[in-house]
Amino acid sequence: MRYLLSSILLILCFSCASYPKKNGFTATNSKKATITNPYFSNTAKDYVYKANIDAFGSSFGGIFIVKKLGQNHHRIVFTTEIGNKIFDFTFKGDDFKVNHILKKLDKKILINVLKNDFKVLIKEKLLVEKGFQQDLNSIYKTQISNKNYYHFVSEEKLHKVIRINNRKEKVVFTFSEIENNIANEIQISHQNINLKILLKAL
Amino acid sequence: MRKVVYILFLTVLATSAQTKMSATEANTLKNTVKALSEKTETITSDFIQYKHLDFLSNDIKSEGKLAFKSPNVVKWEYVKPFAYSVLFKDEKLFINDNGNKSDMDMGSNKIFKQLNQLITASIKGDMFDSSEFDVLYFKNDTNSEVHFTPTDEKFSEFIKVFHINFNNKGEVQEVKMIEPSDDYTQIIFSNRKTNKPLSDEVFAQ
Repeated sequence: MRYLLSSILLILCFSCASYPKKNGFTATNSKKATITNPYFSNTAKDYVYKANIDAFGSSFGGIFIVKKLGQNHHRIVFTTEIGNKIFDFTFKGDDFKVNHILKKLDKKILINVLKNDFKVLIKEKLLVEKGFQQDLNSIYKTQISNKNYYHFVSEEKLHKVIRINNRKEKVVFTFSEIENNIANEIQISHQNINLKILLKAL
Repeated sequence: MRKVVYILFLTVLATSAQTKMSATEANTLKNTVKALSEKTETITSDFIQYKHLDFLSNDIKSEGKLAFKSPNVVKWEYVKPFAYSVLFKDEKLFINDNGNKSDMDMGSNKIFKQLNQLITASIKGDMFDSSEFDVLYFKNDTNSEVHFTPTDEKFSEFIKVFHINFNNKGEVQEVKMIEPSDDYTQIIFSNRKTNKPLSDEVFAQ
């Protein structure tokens, strides 16, 4: 009986363990105050990607465009291959503006999902709340728009960002084929809704 | 006074680049296009597309091929920098996105359909009288430019106006689709070949 109780306790404890504990991260005394996401940080560059989006059972493509216009100021536009705009957003500081969205996609929930995802792509300077280590990864707990994130850096390259809610992974961002501060492949994968965005640099 | 001269000069300059056609000239263009289209069974052409967004440093350039077979089969195929094709056949839209095939698309579907209609119609020459567009005729030194403004409210959500450029033979040289925000897509055709036999394979999905 005592054995059973302690195992239940153990299981309970394990399942309520924090995200870092659950995943075997070791806390470090990292003195790092901020980390940098460099992937959309050059105002001289037009970032143009071919996008494939799988959403709720249907899949479609388009061109995904990001332009940094100034400090904390980005424009993000998604068009069809032929060039017609599907949506057009401006991020400036904490402000967010929908310049254009197709009427049939003009839904608050969808716009919020996209807004939160894209904010992760373009947010350059991130305050580190805690530092961890796991194998070759340095992991930094951060916050973007009041949501909890873990930024994974290895060999000085940011290659993964995970949004956590209630200790569960909600969205996984991966950056790969990285060269000269450009992630040639980016994947945004939602774990709790059926949405996956794959971007390949053109 | 100097200001007035300057404005006058500017106006003259602007109007000499492109002037409105007279009714007779517009009719001549319509007839030229119509006569050409009646003789046209197939067309193949290369194209270069420039997507202009005001906030970008450079236009986004892509290249591809167009194939047309009378009366209304059209294939748009992007080759560079990505592989993507759209085929209009039997009132259906087939998409091949780098090997991923589908016959449905979000958003672009209606645009492509209208563009297809416009290209097909401009080849056939019967769109000038379409009730779906308000039409204006212009000319410059060598070419004619016709502006088509969609009358359908749903469609004008996507496109404010189409500009189609014809050479003196009545062939489409250039299409410009201007969005309500004034950003635009410009498609320039080259290497046009007419009435070359085209195998069914060209239009296979």
